[in-house]
Amino acid sequence: MIDIKDLHKSFEDHEVLKGIDLHINPQEVVVIIGPSGSGKSTLLRCMNMLEVPTSGEVVVDGIELNGEANINKAREEIGMVFQRFNLFPHMTVLQNITLAPIKVRGMKKEDAEKIAQELLAQVGLSDKADAYPPQLSGGQQQRVAIARALAMQPKVMLFDEPTSALDPEMVKEVLDVMKDLANKGMTMAVVTHEMGFAREVGDRLLFVDDGQIIEQGPPKEVFENPREERTKLFFSKIL
Amino acid sequence: MSFNMDLVVQSFPLLILGAGITIQITAISVFLGLIIGMFVGIARISHIKPLSILAAIYTDFLRGTPLLVQIFLIYFALPIILDQRVDPFLAAITACGINSGAYIAEIFRAGIQAIDSGQMEAGRSLGMTWTQTMRYIIIPQAFKNIIPPLGNEFIALLKDSSLVSVIGFEELTRRGQLIIARTYGSLEIWLSVALIYLVMTLAISRLVAYMEKRLKTK
Repeated sequence: MIDIKDLHKSFEDHEVLKGIDLHINPQEVVVIIGPSGSGKSTLLRCMNMLEVPTSGEVVVDGIELNGEANINKAREEIGMVFQRFNLFPHMTVLQNITLAPIKVRGMKKEDAEKIAQELLAQVGLSDKADAYPPQLSGGQQQRVAIARALAMQPKVMLFDEPTSALDPEMVKEVLDVMKDLANKGMTMAVVTHEMGFAREVGDRLLFVDDGQIIEQGPPKEVFENPREERTKLFFSKIL
Repeated sequence: MSFNMDLVVQSFPLLILGAGITIQITAISVFLGLIIGMFVGIARISHIKPLSILAAIYTDFLRGTPLLVQIFLIYFALPIILDQRVDPFLAAITACGINSGAYIAEIFRAGIQAIDSGQMEAGRSLGMTWTQTMRYIIIPQAFKNIIPPLGNEFIALLKDSSLVSVIGFEELTRRGQLIIARTYGSLEIWLSVALIYLVMTLAISRLVAYMEKRLKTK
């Protein structure tokens, strides 16, 4: 579903990604962990070209991400959830969710609203359709953001530290929605600090440090028997 | 010193007519300026280099030269190029419109740049183009932010529109001059003129404050 070959990314003269190769299968849930500044968010943001790589190749759902038209087309199939939600504050929840399906997919307003209502039910926010984002709690906003991304019926979902900006008591409601999504067979790439989620929901765990994939494997294995020194060091600091 | 109250009362209807024309040029100019300013402001931050350079030249030139000289350029210099007389009303709104367009462009640019970059990223990540994201997400939010500076621009232009009196266009200031030429009542007429400007600018600033409050509570 996602194919990354020899991906490099530099900001000015600082190299953030130093040659990443990664293949994500359909329906796979890949959890990316690593210290801050390791390049894990940049890697994720290269998967939909919010960050343009310095060199290398990214192919999503058979579309190579180069050129404006290709990138826009691929983005229709790639949902993204941000740390800071990035909901549109001047629109209601329902308008947030239906905007892209109507403007990009050319969907009829009624059809888009029907899908939006179903998605709001799925994330447990049916009663908030007419609310504005600033009226919602962080956890509710993030669930709306997930529904907004899902409304495009994407084939892949990218999560960039989706619970890092939340109060502790709201983390679970967001993780539950993500777990539900994984169980339904969504292909997902998740950058997170939630080790419990990584262990329980992830099919594969990726440890990234200093712009490289240091170690990967089934989460349980990596957590219990990390092979690399840097992985061990990281776990010793956080677990 | 003698103050002729009768002169004030007699001249008042004529001055009010002039004030009406002042409001008219200001409103048309701000409307023109708003359209110019929106496009120039967006062009200024566009990634298409020639477009942003052109926009920078436009704003630099119009903000870096006096409005009075711009009025002269359009009313006296342009006819030489066109080999045709320019209508004073047209000259007045063109000069004021393109001038305020430069200031409004800067207001728009600042208003757009004040929007969190996550908004553009969210729009783009949903598959929307840059233009669609601008139109549906960024500009509507920027509009809210720029209402106060836009109100100030409206007030500034209302006052600056007195400059078009120099090309003989009969707005409030010119009316005042004409009445004084007839009656020699400098004190009475200039005080009246000033008072009418004051009432208009106060009314606009109240209106802007009201709009700002209404948009905030929404």
